[in-house]
Amino acid sequence: MRRGGEGRGRLLLISLIVTALFLITLDLRGVGLLEGARQATQTVLSPFQRAGSVAVSPFKNFFSDITHLGRTRNEIEKLRAENAKLKSVLINRKNADAQLKQLKNLLDLAGTAGYKVINARVISQGSSQSFAQTITIDAGATAGIKKNMTVLSESGLAGVVKDVYPRTALISLATDPTFRIGIRIAGTQQIGILSGRGNRSSNLQLIDNLTTVKVGDILLSRGSVANRPFVPGVPVGYVTAVDNSAGAIAQSATVHLYTDFATLGVVSIVVGAPTINPGDALVPAKPQPTPVPTVTVYATPSPSPTN
Amino acid sequence: MLIRQLSLAASLFFVVYLIQESVINQFRLPGGGFSILLIFTLVWAILSTPEIAALGGFLAGLLMDLSQSSSGPIGQWTLLMIAACYVAGYLGSGNEILAGNPLGFTFFTAAATFFIEIAYVVTGALLGVQAGSFGQVLITLLGISLWTLVVTPILLPIFSRLHELIFNTRSPL
Repeated sequence: MRRGGEGRGRLLLISLIVTALFLITLDLRGVGLLEGARQATQTVLSPFQRAGSVAVSPFKNFFSDITHLGRTRNEIEKLRAENAKLKSVLINRKNADAQLKQLKNLLDLAGTAGYKVINARVISQGSSQSFAQTITIDAGATAGIKKNMTVLSESGLAGVVKDVYPRTALISLATDPTFRIGIRIAGTQQIGILSGRGNRSSNLQLIDNLTTVKVGDILLSRGSVANRPFVPGVPVGYVTAVDNSAGAIAQSATVHLYTDFATLGVVSIVVGAPTINPGDALVPAKPQPTPVPTVTVYATPSPSPTN
Repeated sequence: MLIRQLSLAASLFFVVYLIQESVINQFRLPGGGFSILLIFTLVWAILSTPEIAALGGFLAGLLMDLSQSSSGPIGQWTLLMIAACYVAGYLGSGNEILAGNPLGFTFFTAAATFFIEIAYVVTGALLGVQAGSFGQVLITLLGISLWTLVVTPILLPIFSRLHELIFNTRSPL
């Protein structure tokens, strides 16, 4: 009897493993049914994600704020002075203001280059259990969004539309390990390929091995055929380190991406690009160093006490 | 009777998946955060027989594969979760060290999460899925494991009670 039970157990395990292998094979062969299953799941999930986004919005950036505590100390001290009622109002308003600021900067950026954009709110961030860097936005095919469209943040490139559902869309962020973009360096016009590394620092590989890159060089998107997946001229990031190892086929560098992916609240999807390439028009202004006042104190030693 | 229990368990898996996708994924947790579905499935597997654990793993893996944030092919998580849950069920059923030992349970779950994620990276590499730089993968692996270590003791009594209610068994915890 026990032997029969064990046999059934083994049969069940083998059946499950075979089913999983069958699914992998079907998916790798590009069977549309499985992609349809993923789309259907997303369609079912999107109302819940919207509701969840609204419910947790006051606490969404809690951990991000904690990590930037030093920078926001003054703000926190100011908020402490407020009473409990005003505090909760301020938290909600702060969230709305941040999104408004992001939206204004986004429209400025898109307006300068003449991009036609659709704005959307981030409603979910992909789980990193699969090592992918994605977000879900609250606009989809019904709003005119299609696969492989450029996604902008207030400070530059955020990513690309990976999948589109009726009312939502999945964005692959520029930090995703599978993300690749052709770039050119502002000014020198050298071209290269930027690859995501899972964090805000990306890897740049120059195409021409005779050209050089410097720390501080600004990278812009080079643009794609028919402006998809990438429109030209979008600020991507700036070079923070150059790899000068001897014997390398092409020069490589580390790039810091402009977009702060931890606080991404609103994004714009470029649905129409200008007929004229914006060139270097979107190169961000270099930050002006804030003068730090120095105070010199001359200490005069007091005479030593004498008895 | 078994069909009723399995249907209830399947609904529960779906609810946990819904919580993961609509609430937990909203938080920008440092180090990659945690997967409540992964923790739930592992706890469930340890408390179950290997066959039931494998079935749970199949369902949870399928849901994880259907998640929009999953970068691998459909079936990759399913395969890993079947194997992981079967092993967890095999090691957990009748294990005197784990019985009545929430600390052991927690460490077992965190270690299992760590190894499942490593297996995901390795099988992903074989299937052509990129996981990022070595440093980033390491940070995510450690982050997810540490979060699991923190969150499991909080969720363990709830998950254990739910398992007890559905399968009418006495919880070992």
